[in-house]
Amino acid sequence: MAPDAEDYTFLCPPSKEEQEQEPVYRAPSHYNPRQTYHLPPGAGRHYQQQYDDLYFLRLAKLKPTVEKVAQDAWDGLIIAGEKVRRVDRVLDVRQGELCWVAGTVYMDLPMKPNILDDLSKENFTSAPPPRRTYTDPSNPSLTQIMMEDESGRLRLTGNFLRSTQLATGAIIAALGTENANGDFEVIDIKLPDLAPQLQRWEGTAPENGIEIAGKEHGKIAFVSGLGITGTSSDTLALELLTDYLLGYTGFSGNDENSPSLGSSKITRLVIAGNSLGASVVGDVASTNPDNDEATKALPKKYGYDASAYNPAPITELDNFLAEILPSIPVTLMPGEKDPANFSLPQQGIHRTMFPQARAYSAPPARGDDKPEAGWFDSVTNPWDGDVEGWRLWGCSGQNVDDVLRYINIEGGDSSPNKGTDSDARMRIMEAMLRWRCGVPTAPDTIWSYPFQSDDPYVIENCPHIFFAGNQPQFKTATIEGDVPLRLDGDTEMTGAADGSDAARVRLLALPKFNETGELILVDTETLEVEVVRFGVFKGQEEQK
Amino acid sequence: MDSKLYLAENVLNERRPVTYRLLSRALKLHANRAKHILFEFHRNENAKKPQTVHATYVISGIQKAPDQAPTNGHADNGDDMMESSPYLPSSMPNQDTDSDSIRTTSIVLAREEDLEDAKSTFQSISIIHVYSLEPTALPDLNVLVDSNREIARTHGQEDPLEFGKQWGMIQNQNVKRRTGARPPPPAAPAVKAPAAKVSNPSIESTVPAKRPLQKETASSKVEAAEPSSATNSQTSSKPSGKAAPAKQKGNGNLFSSFAKAKPKTKVSAPAEPVGAITFVLDDASEEEAEELFPDSTDKAAAANRENRKEREEKLKKMMDDDDDEADDEEMPDADEEPREPTPVEQPPPSKPAELKEEVTVQGGRRRGKRQVMKKKTVKDEEGYLVTREEATWESFSEDEPAPKKKPAVNVPKKAGKAAGQGNIMSFFGKK
Repeated sequence: MAPDAEDYTFLCPPSKEEQEQEPVYRAPSHYNPRQTYHLPPGAGRHYQQQYDDLYFLRLAKLKPTVEKVAQDAWDGLIIAGEKVRRVDRVLDVRQGELCWVAGTVYMDLPMKPNILDDLSKENFTSAPPPRRTYTDPSNPSLTQIMMEDESGRLRLTGNFLRSTQLATGAIIAALGTENANGDFEVIDIKLPDLAPQLQRWEGTAPENGIEIAGKEHGKIAFVSGLGITGTSSDTLALELLTDYLLGYTGFSGNDENSPSLGSSKITRLVIAGNSLGASVVGDVASTNPDNDEATKALPKKYGYDASAYNPAPITELDNFLAEILPSIPVTLMPGEKDPANFSLPQQGIHRTMFPQARAYSAPPARGDDKPEAGWFDSVTNPWDGDVEGWRLWGCSGQNVDDVLRYINIEGGDSSPNKGTDSDARMRIMEAMLRWRCGVPTAPDTIWSYPFQSDDPYVIENCPHIFFAGNQPQFKTATIEGDVPLRLDGDTEMTGAADGSDAARVRLLALPKFNETGELILVDTETLEVEVVRFGVFKGQEEQK
Repeated sequence: MDSKLYLAENVLNERRPVTYRLLSRALKLHANRAKHILFEFHRNENAKKPQTVHATYVISGIQKAPDQAPTNGHADNGDDMMESSPYLPSSMPNQDTDSDSIRTTSIVLAREEDLEDAKSTFQSISIIHVYSLEPTALPDLNVLVDSNREIARTHGQEDPLEFGKQWGMIQNQNVKRRTGARPPPPAAPAVKAPAAKVSNPSIESTVPAKRPLQKETASSKVEAAEPSSATNSQTSSKPSGKAAPAKQKGNGNLFSSFAKAKPKTKVSAPAEPVGAITFVLDDASEEEAEELFPDSTDKAAAANRENRKEREEKLKKMMDDDDDEADDEEMPDADEEPREPTPVEQPPPSKPAELKEEVTVQGGRRRGKRQVMKKKTVKDEEGYLVTREEATWESFSEDEPAPKKKPAVNVPKKAGKAAGQGNIMSFFGKK
């Protein structure tokens, strides 16, 4: 029964003399989180403003860029004997004239949640249930795409639009002509394209940059959707993950032949949202059928009922963090299901939620000082920052999920092909970078804080790693700035151009750990990706 | 051998699963050594008597691509995890990717009887080790999660930074941890403290009932500053407790306990932040318990002093008004204003905070003078009756401790009434 494999290191009795095990040291992490999405606390946070400012600022920021791109492409262009003219405002478009104009896309979709509808139906007290898509696949004509700016709106039509994907909030320039219906027939569109990308280490303090250069390979680990419930339904995968991160399982970096196993190379763990499983409150009653009657019998308490609170998930998360923090620094982003505010940008989960792990967090900021980065950093969602010199931009996945609802997935049955779905997600992530807007559909269909003086969702510096958490499947790709966006399947592109100057972005769609057991590692030198998967072998017993 | 004994006890006698980490923690062994020990135990016991011990293994390595189905949870992942062409994840993303598909390492837990099957799904195996030993095959491997949670319970107090090396944890030299925050804050006692005072309205609470709390927080300073008065008041409280136990009840008592604590702080300047600190403790759930972070105490202390007034008032309100549970830290202003006109909010002048005591101890006998509030009713120049409270000094000795209590306890009520009358009077008077 016992395996006869003497060739595996650990399948042998311990050597008699207690040999001293060499301690393994983890490489240091160079970390510089940015406060882009940090909201002022307490009284500094206002909710009276109109969302209009956000759109105005976005257009003001991106219109010059997209106009420049369009100018370069279309200036002096002559189509059918007519010279293309530039129009400043969407309302200045004249019928029959060939022209181009820049503005914000607005999409009117049949199933889109509408606050006015909610109000008139008087069901505005609770959030609308999430929908899989806002489009109506049976009747695509109900989808209207419009372009708007400060002056007004223009309806866009044309076959060209069917081959592209757009979402509310994106800033584009469109070339075309107004037809007899007053609609704008689009022949081509231009996007702002990738924002300028910093060189590696450029975002970090310069003195660090010098001492760091020429350091050995490290890894940044990404995980999302831990989905800790605190019950025995938690998978063993989390335990294996802990063991792996702490170096108990697998090699401890001694074996150079299998660098992927050397978890000592991992310099930082980024947790991208949904660390907690099913909703914290009221979960106990639903999981325990015996309790149901008891809960019904009790008089319903108005408001928050402390007895319905189940602390197990957050306690387990705290235990997990406290377990790994002595060895590895952690950046924790909240997600849709985490105890943080719901509207983007979600602020970091408060450290009092983690009685043990908070010892590793930074002390409360004093006055106006820039808060120092904690060893355990509970950050915002979306979040950007510099890790090992690379600029990271990430979200826990709400941005991608929401834009996906705008898009009519090909073959949009009830069960879309997984491959198509994850391809679409990749394309959306790429499109976001080319729109230079990380969360284009906020504040239209994603709840958002009404920013007034700045639109932080505009990506000013193209990140090196762009990740979205809680995706159904792991997927990665690299995109480059020079290549024009082609979504129509026209892929005869140049070969492996070594674009050393061009912006290169590694896109990561992070899977849900509680479903896939996958941890994603990104090499800090090459930005190559590998996957470590934790699981339990389903033996004969379970296969019966 | 110690480890054998431990395993025999736990696995064979108590029939619990033991993971290598539990063993490593329990016996303070290196994790790798624990793996060896588990293996040896498993082999020896089963050699003596087959089937006595069951093992679970961890296999790490690279799995064969098409054979992933049996692995739990990702049956339909397929071989889709490939890098797409360096450019666009367009309609043909997976074309030229066979060469540079993403390297996927798997770490899989398998039962002893499934080990061979599990191994056959691997293309190459880098390591296999025993994960746990258990008396019989586990129908559900998730039981092992509980075994690991036991580590947190029983060995949670061991500092991982100290023992991590012993366990074989990857060390990190840059780890930053704030000291003093090891055990989770005793939130419950902090909340209970005021409650206990309310429910037990004995004399003890009249005399600085905060004494234990003070000792915890601002301890040495306070004691050094006023050792005599502190001890005195405590000794004096005991006899008086017998004298008038039933008279003080409810809010008035609580309030007075707070008020009575005040004179002490007046006498000794260093004890100042007492009110503030106790408040912080009361409020630990929302406001972080700042004393846990000594590196930020200077700032905390400053803030405390600044906010002391405000907090005292809040605390008073909290204690007076039981319904007022929710104090929103984020907007104290909005919270405060609407409640301003409650009668208890009478401005502090009439507050018994001015009361002073001078005590001398001579040969075990206490003599002294203390300030007491006395009611005085006088006719003012316009012919109205005005009731005022005035502080007067009266002397006392140990023989007559009881009278000390009475005025002190009744003070707040009187103060409120008297001040209210005075105000109304003067309001009319001005007209």
